[in-house]
Amino acid sequence: MPGSKSIIGTASTLALVLAWEAVSQGGLVSERFLPAPSVVLVTLWKMIFERDLLYHAGVSALRVWGAFLIAAAMAVPIGIMMGSFRWVGAALEPVVDFIRYLPVPALVPLSIIWFGVGEGTKIFLLWLGTFFQLVLLVADDVRRVPHEYHETAMTVGATGSRRLLDVSLPAMLPTLVDNMRITLGWCWTYLIIAEIVAANSGLGFVIWQARRFFQTPEVMAGVVTIGIIGLLTDQVIRAAHRRWFGYLVR
Amino acid sequence: MSYLAFENVTKRYGQTEVVAPFQLTVAKGELVAFLGPSGCGKTTLMRMVGGLESPTSGRIVLSGEPLGGPDRRRGMVFQSYSAFPWLTVEGNVAYGMRYRTDLTAAEKKDRTAHFLALVGLTDFRDSWPNRISGGMRQRVAIARTLAAGSEILLMDEPFGALDAQRREFLQVALRRIQRDEGKTVIFVTHDVEEAAFLADRVIVFTRRPAAILAEVDVTAQLGPARSLDLRESPEFFALRNKLLHLVRSTATEDDT
Repeated sequence: MPGSKSIIGTASTLALVLAWEAVSQGGLVSERFLPAPSVVLVTLWKMIFERDLLYHAGVSALRVWGAFLIAAAMAVPIGIMMGSFRWVGAALEPVVDFIRYLPVPALVPLSIIWFGVGEGTKIFLLWLGTFFQLVLLVADDVRRVPHEYHETAMTVGATGSRRLLDVSLPAMLPTLVDNMRITLGWCWTYLIIAEIVAANSGLGFVIWQARRFFQTPEVMAGVVTIGIIGLLTDQVIRAAHRRWFGYLVR
Repeated sequence: MSYLAFENVTKRYGQTEVVAPFQLTVAKGELVAFLGPSGCGKTTLMRMVGGLESPTSGRIVLSGEPLGGPDRRRGMVFQSYSAFPWLTVEGNVAYGMRYRTDLTAAEKKDRTAHFLALVGLTDFRDSWPNRISGGMRQRVAIARTLAAGSEILLMDEPFGALDAQRREFLQVALRRIQRDEGKTVIFVTHDVEEAAFLADRVIVFTRRPAAILAEVDVTAQLGPARSLDLRESPEFFALRNKLLHLVRSTATEDDT
């Protein structure tokens, strides 16, 4: 039952938060290191007015979505080509695999040399972290479309390009949306790295500023904000997935 | 002139000979069952008729013309993934005509309704394939090939995943539709009982490379009409046992 599942989820989260509160309030850990959740929440609320938290969250979200959309707009068609035509896959896969294994933080210096410390660097780093992962996932999704679907289409007269549109695309769409949801989450990881290194706005910047003044509640409030944004995005995409791909339910 | 003819067809994959020089003719409106051990090459032969694979040598001729790549004259019904899950039952049947330019939208609609009714799925037209039974999904696939206007239905163990009752029901339905619509069917199976019940003629295959071990003319012995009563007749039993012995003779100790 989905109802009981969400009750269990809420209860376990609540228990964790209460335990955290008890540990901090009971003085087991210094408040400097682990402020209570109630303190973090109050700080978060204050930061909205005093530190423009919503503005910074908006800037971060814009960077994530901007870079992600650019990466996805490139990864989907290129991935479909790689998965559909053996020679495209053979030509691109070694390069993609190589870059995919480069850790994004290792490319920060190079990126700053190329793009300076402006938005270009951030978008580039996020794109780097998502495009090369997503393109391989898309290529695999295309390859996993059952051959029966293609052969059914061929024996009712579908040409190769029609099969891409009428078979490959609809068959892979549910997994594509899932993979995009997961890659979008990774984007946030790279964003914080980019914002810590070179930014004067965004949630990474806020967190890093607070650390310099040892404002642990503000650091945690920044982290919690990212968590909330992540959770909400994930839930919205999951809900859309259920709605769009309800036909998959047996 | 024969309708469909395999003329010295062979197939190799690298060093492996899958089909030995193969000769067979099939009449229009005939239901021929390919019966044999798994991996014997019978499916490869059927796929070659569909244009999904090409012979290494020899050719397959349909109405006097050598066959090339796939087109809608030869429709496929697979055992699994036989219907697109993202289209409704109706959408799947209509998909058979998606690339036909010789029909108007109204004609396509009529044909869709006609073939949905023919396979008894009118009430399920708005259902998603994942929410109906496996037997209904196979009926969707049959209706799609008929809507496409296929002359030949190529069926690759289409009822293999169904329980005994649904399988029997579909066998009767397929036989009825095939005779009413005058379709030629090549039906690949390793189920002796199914081959005996459905087919006009059963081709029993040897182990790989595929070659004809025996040809049994079922219609000559049981007549063209097939009903469930026939299944219990002594004539059917005798025929079934004959086929069973033939198939057994192809088995080796590695099969166990």
